Amino acid sequence: MPSLVSFIIVSAALLGIGIYGLSVKRNAIRILFAVELIVNAANLNFVAFSRYMNPPQVTGQVIVFYSIAAAAMEAAVGLALILVAFRLHSTIDVRKLDKLKG
Amino acid sequence: MVAISLEIPPDVTFVILTTITLLAAILALQAKELIYGAVALAISFIGIAGFFVFLDAPYLAMLQIAVYVGAVVVLILFTIMLVRREETEPVERPEEGEGAVGLWIAGLLAVSIAGVAALAGPNLPSSMQPADLPVSELGPVLAGQYPVPLLILALLLSGALLGALVLAKVDR
Amino acid sequence: MIVVMFLTWYERKLLARIQLRIGPLYAGGPGGILQPIADGVKLIFKEVMIPYKADKPLFLSIPLMLVLSAALPFAVIPFGQHWVIANLDVGLVFVFAMTSLFPSMILIFAWASNSKYPFLGGLRSLFQQVAYEIPMWISALSVVMLAGSLNLVDIVNAQQKIWFIVPSFLSFIVFFIASLAELERLPFDLPEAEPELVAGWFTESSGAIFMVIFLALYMKVYLMSSLITVLFLGGWWGPAFLPQPVWFILKTLFVATFIIIPRGVYPRLRVDLLIKVGWTRLLVIAIANVFLTVVLLSTGVLSAWGI
Repeated sequence: MPSLVSFIIVSAALLGIGIYGLSVKRNAIRILFAVELIVNAANLNFVAFSRYMNPPQVTGQVIVFYSIAAAAMEAAVGLALILVAFRLHSTIDVRKLDKLKG
Repeated sequence: MVAISLEIPPDVTFVILTTITLLAAILALQAKELIYGAVALAISFIGIAGFFVFLDAPYLAMLQIAVYVGAVVVLILFTIMLVRREETEPVERPEEGEGAVGLWIAGLLAVSIAGVAALAGPNLPSSMQPADLPVSELGPVLAGQYPVPLLILALLLSGALLGALVLAKVDR
Repeated sequence: MIVVMFLTWYERKLLARIQLRIGPLYAGGPGGILQPIADGVKLIFKEVMIPYKADKPLFLSIPLMLVLSAALPFAVIPFGQHWVIANLDVGLVFVFAMTSLFPSMILIFAWASNSKYPFLGGLRSLFQQVAYEIPMWISALSVVMLAGSLNLVDIVNAQQKIWFIVPSFLSFIVFFIASLAELERLPFDLPEAEPELVAGWFTESSGAIFMVIFLALYMKVYLMSSLITVLFLGGWWGPAFLPQPVWFILKTLFVATFIIIPRGVYPRLRVDLLIKVGWTRLLVIAIANVFLTVVLLSTGVLSAWGI
């Protein structure tokens, strides 16, 4: 039976991978990947904590329910933004997308 | 509830799930082609869904697969296909020392969180209590105890949908 | 597997009757029943051509994944009171999660073929399947409300007195049409339309690959038919002179017949009209049915049948 600590370690590892991707990668879509990984890490944490409570609660699952919906929305809007940025600048390299004005 | 009556001890399942998820996550970022990265991301989502099943949250696991793998990954694939150019995509060669900084930051963060968790280990529960979390309990909590977030979420969803539509529209 | 083989034979025979032909007669056995085996053998021996610059690993692994996700939901569909492999409490959502995997796999496959026609066909197919998922989910919602559980066994049990097709007739229609669209069968056939796009998203697959995809496609047909039977037609309930699973299979075949028949009868629907119908009309009807169900439930009209 894995302890709660192991779940925290797994989600911390996912978080680390996500932050690495977020800070190092230049491709905007890869950065989106990283963001989704981070959100998933947090979701995992929520569910694990609510399961290991005594008695086990369903609250964590409700939170994750909202989190999944919100993250999906954010991915959709983010992808739309990437599309627009690509149309305007022909690049999705975030280093080149550094001017605020079109 | 899912009664997995195979003789796989739960520790082994946990290790397998962890390896799949973490490996897929790393692959998602490091794969040469974006599309392979998207597929790897889908695999890591499925791994997380496996974790949810492991943690007695089957409804959430199915929801994760249906929403993330079924919809978000589709969106990502779509965008990747629409953003292709004939030259290569931005080559992921970080400049001098950059990759190392990223690794250090991420590594330090992850290790510190894990360290705190491990230090607090003895005070945290080390085994799961037998749980009875039927799916039918989710409904009353969602709508009964937390109705406000539900409504806000609905509004947010419509707003995001409209926003994405407006953004992606092509003016002919 | 056997079911799929039988289904393909059944379909060709049936279609042929509708089209005033006789259908496969030559492949040995009574009435050409060995035809599927002949088909299978031929397909295995056909050369597997992988298009130039296509993405080999993806191209070869996706068809297998397709079959996998089409076959898995069968584990939760109950053929009889105790004839179910995995009685998941969230059985229905499991089936829907698996069906939502199809569009992404089709897209990857279409892209991995690295040529125009499959890609276009794949996009159209993607739009179509994604658009019809929602009316499907919502019409299943009315059934879930009537039965009070997501567990497929419970849903069938709740239909002891009355089949759900009666209270939620509208959602039966919506679900049926939506599954026709999900399965890409006529009249929603554009991804496959021969004069238009050669053969849609699986244009480039040949030989063994095509066989695997074909298998997945027909498995889906059977899956949807059995889902309709479970949700609307009362699963395995029937007079006791036949054992339960037999009733189930009979009903499923009945539904499958109605899925196959339109292929020979109706003309094709244009893809943009198709998507529009899915998002506007069907969705509205499905939601209307949900409201209707709420009204029925709260006024206790259905309590005579134990709902």
